[in-house]
Amino acid sequence: MAIRKKGNMVAIVDDDDLMRSALQGLLKSVGLPAQAFASAEEFLKSGQQNEVGCLVADIRMPGMSGLELQAKLNADQCRIPTIFITAHGDEKMRMQALRAGAVEFLAKPFDDEALLESVRAALER
Amino acid sequence: MGYPDKAKWSARPAVGYSLALVSVAASAGMTQVFLYFHLPLAFNSFAFSAIAITFWYGGTRPGILAAVLSALVRSYVFDPEINSISRVLYDLVFLVFALLMTAATRARDELEVRVAERTKELTRANEDLKLEIAERNRAEEALRQSQADLAQVNRVTTMGELTASLAHEVNQPIAAAVTDASTCLRWLTRDEPDVTEAREAASRMVKDASRAAEIISRIRALFKKGSPQRELVDINQIIREMVDLMRSEATRYSISIRLELAADVPQFVGDRVQLQQVLMNLVANSIDAMKGIEGTRELAIRSQPADDDQIQVSISDTGVGLPPQQADQIFNAFFTTKAHGTGMGLRISRTIVESHGGRLWASGNSPRGASFYFALPVKPNTHE
Repeated sequence: MAIRKKGNMVAIVDDDDLMRSALQGLLKSVGLPAQAFASAEEFLKSGQQNEVGCLVADIRMPGMSGLELQAKLNADQCRIPTIFITAHGDEKMRMQALRAGAVEFLAKPFDDEALLESVRAALER
Repeated sequence: MGYPDKAKWSARPAVGYSLALVSVAASAGMTQVFLYFHLPLAFNSFAFSAIAITFWYGGTRPGILAAVLSALVRSYVFDPEINSISRVLYDLVFLVFALLMTAATRARDELEVRVAERTKELTRANEDLKLEIAERNRAEEALRQSQADLAQVNRVTTMGELTASLAHEVNQPIAAAVTDASTCLRWLTRDEPDVTEAREAASRMVKDASRAAEIISRIRALFKKGSPQRELVDINQIIREMVDLMRSEATRYSISIRLELAADVPQFVGDRVQLQQVLMNLVANSIDAMKGIEGTRELAIRSQPADDDQIQVSISDTGVGLPPQQADQIFNAFFTTKAHGTGMGLRISRTIVESHGGRLWASGNSPRGASFYFALPVKPNTHE
């Protein structure tokens, strides 16, 4: 594996506390360090953007949405490979997310293996 | 028509006539006693009493007999030497008295008849009144029933409108449960299973499923139709519960929710489900008002204690707003600006608040939007 500039930490951004715990637990079971944030704003304020190798984010959240977060990071020249997980998955949104550079777009409930594969792919980038 | 009650007084005419004889005889007797004791001649006084008593308790004819007897007794027993002219004058006195008594007894009899008729009328009016009251009670019961039905319809309709977001609401904990279950299996299917980690994952799964069950039971409670239950309620808790249920709907339209709930808002006796209904209705209305708005979309809910042992809750939005002339009209039944609304939501909410002894009103916000306020008494002073 090549040494990347960015770390291999995974950032989780979701307003639902149960979802955050579940994702952290899942990533821990495959040995991936993960940090959870309750909102996009919290993530941006944390200043951890440069250590993050992959972002797993919900789309619909109070305040800034996942897509808006993606746009903001792109605008700040901070391209983090992003995987979106959402309960409101429609085709239009999926296209919009992928066009903006998302690695994957998964609907909840998602298959855990599918998520992990996407995370690994994201960390390779 | 005759005088039916006259029979009462002279059930046996013999009684009346005997009364005449006895009373006049008694008068004569008393007069003799007086004379024996050298007291003045008092026959007239006794006779008048006898005649009056006979008329009253014996009837008109016995009374006339008593008058005649008295006149005769007076003339022939107590004053035999009386000259004719004097005698005629005395007889005239008895005659006049007899006429007066006849008039009196006739008046009494007539009065009795009128009283009986009046009593009959009043009894009939009373019966009618009782029927009317029973009818009104039935109508009130029917009204209450149809209000309950209407509240149920409103609940179902509102829930129907929110089905999509409620499905999302339940989906979250289910998705978390699936992930935690998969994680648990991962820990167990290793070469060296990590039971501790697996256990943690399983615990999270329990929490996830419980959250899903709680949401479903809360939704189901809103559907349940029942008679009003009064219990101690905490309005802040109800507000938070309803906001949780509606949060995904708000998020869907990028509406932020701000809660400013005072900690010192006292509990009070009320119907939890009905109050949930009111809050859900008001929040749903606010969300609707903000759906198409450009600019800030904020829903603010405040609760605080108010004067006169009351609490006040306000639900404010930055939506399409409310013209002042509509501020009261919107609470009318069937008033709606939505294409698919029933128009009953605010009407029912107001009825619920008023049945708790409170008030519900609305006003416009500046720069934009509307606010709905309701005040509820904290002392148990409810009326239905």
